[in-house]
Amino acid sequence: MPAAAVITETLIRENINRAVSDVFKTMLGRIPTFVSVTEMSRRDDMAPPPPGPASGMTTFVVGTVGFLGDINGLIYLCLDEPFARLTTCHLLGLSEAEAMEAGDEAVNDAIGEITNMTVGSFKNGLCDAGYPCMLTIPSILRGSNFSIEPISSTTRYVYNFESTGHKVAVDILLKGND
Amino acid sequence: MRYKILTVDDSKTVRIIVRKAFKSYDCDILEAGNGVEGLAVAAKDSPDVILLDITMPVMDGVEMLTRIKSDAQLKGIPVIMLTAEGGRDNVLKIAKIGVRDYLVKPFKEEVLIEKVGRIIDLKPLTDQAAKAKSIFDPATILVVEDKPAIVAQIQEGLKHTPWKVHGASTQGEALDFCTKTPPDLILVSLSLPEEAAFSLFRVLRASIKTKYTPIFALAVKTETGQQQQAQTLGFSALITKPIDLGDLEGKICKAMNLDTSERYFKIEPGFLVMRLPENCSPSVLGEVANYLKPKFSEAVDAGLSRMIIDIHELKNLHMGVIKLLFQAMQTCRELSLQFALVGNAQIITECKGFEDTRNWQFYESIDEAKANLGKAAAAQLVPA
Repeated sequence: MPAAAVITETLIRENINRAVSDVFKTMLGRIPTFVSVTEMSRRDDMAPPPPGPASGMTTFVVGTVGFLGDINGLIYLCLDEPFARLTTCHLLGLSEAEAMEAGDEAVNDAIGEITNMTVGSFKNGLCDAGYPCMLTIPSILRGSNFSIEPISSTTRYVYNFESTGHKVAVDILLKGND
Repeated sequence: MRYKILTVDDSKTVRIIVRKAFKSYDCDILEAGNGVEGLAVAAKDSPDVILLDITMPVMDGVEMLTRIKSDAQLKGIPVIMLTAEGGRDNVLKIAKIGVRDYLVKPFKEEVLIEKVGRIIDLKPLTDQAAKAKSIFDPATILVVEDKPAIVAQIQEGLKHTPWKVHGASTQGEALDFCTKTPPDLILVSLSLPEEAAFSLFRVLRASIKTKYTPIFALAVKTETGQQQQAQTLGFSALITKPIDLGDLEGKICKAMNLDTSERYFKIEPGFLVMRLPENCSPSVLGEVANYLKPKFSEAVDAGLSRMIIDIHELKNLHMGVIKLLFQAMQTCRELSLQFALVGNAQIITECKGFEDTRNWQFYESIDEAKANLGKAAAAQLVPA
């Protein structure tokens, strides 16, 4: 059974790059720029805090969707709250005032859907490469001071993108061989 | 008939995006959050198209699709899968159950509209608008012509209108323009290289955005073969070079169904004024004749009882004008509207020369007509 160990980082990177670019370009009219990748294979490697919701006052909105099948994992899409709101406005055709009125629920729904599309696109690439899997339902994490920490035996890649001055982190956790 | 589109998706965001995509089209959007709700709405409202997600709670899209296809009442409804579940295997699996089309998220709104437009005859809402656009409203006209002098001539000839005339010299440029800013009317030169005018026409007609946009053919008078081909293909009108800009403007107004009455009719305090331009071509006379009854009735309905027929700008009196003026006077009598004529010296003299018009009484200015109209009886103002 193929698993994270036999999937190359290149395949992951190409797929996530394509997925993020497709979703941002098609749905938001923005072309994100890939900035960097960090691979963290073991807990020991977690010494530096993961990008995204670092300690501080900025609120982050993090969408999560998993994939299950010949390859199992989770993807977190992390945006700062102002960018998440801007994304919601663009996606739903709302003004900033309307988005404020619609509240956090609208932002959560929109970021959940953007994450779903991104992970769906990423997953479709894996399926076509011979790793069939299915998506889980999306969920949202919100907060200003938290960290995402995988358990051991998990392979983790964090891809950082930039879009019109905002940082977008895509945190991919892949389950290792059982 | 108003088409119904059912979107079945557990994501409220996607349902909002679908609603937003079709808001400028004459259709109703029905919504359901999962397969069970979707089947209930489909059975109750018989939608014309279903946009179906795959991964949903309660009942997923695959099961809903299977049930639709096994239900005699529902199986004829075309289904477009709209889902993040792409991948060859998934697509093949769904295709076997029977879908009309497949759209993988992320998707562009225009692609969704295009796909739905292939199934139902989507019409832009503006086509259905009760209020006609006026000659004084802005509009966008695209001229697809590889000769800049012709584009410049049309821009110059229509500069007195509120219309913006844009030029495009190739088919690709024209299509790019139409994607970004769907124009209100398109003129295509039939002399574009490699018969590009005809292929462009077909592409424009196949696109939901320009499906109903009037498309005029521009051709040299002697190129009858091209003109026939354009008419057979269904171009809305033919404009021959050298271009008669007055004729072009009239045809544009007609094709865009513009209300041109404000050019000829104006309500002033206490009066309706009907004004004829200096040159009354048959198309102008036709336009004015069409507006006579509705405009006069509208004035009476608004409480007016007096009107002025102003022909002081007119350069030549001919039978067409005389016939129109008789028609206007007759309509005034039918509606018990008092009226007065205002003309210039030449027209007044010309009227004296015809048996039927020699008794018409004219005032030399609108102010004079207004001052006297209230006092004079209608009988004194009409021909004996």
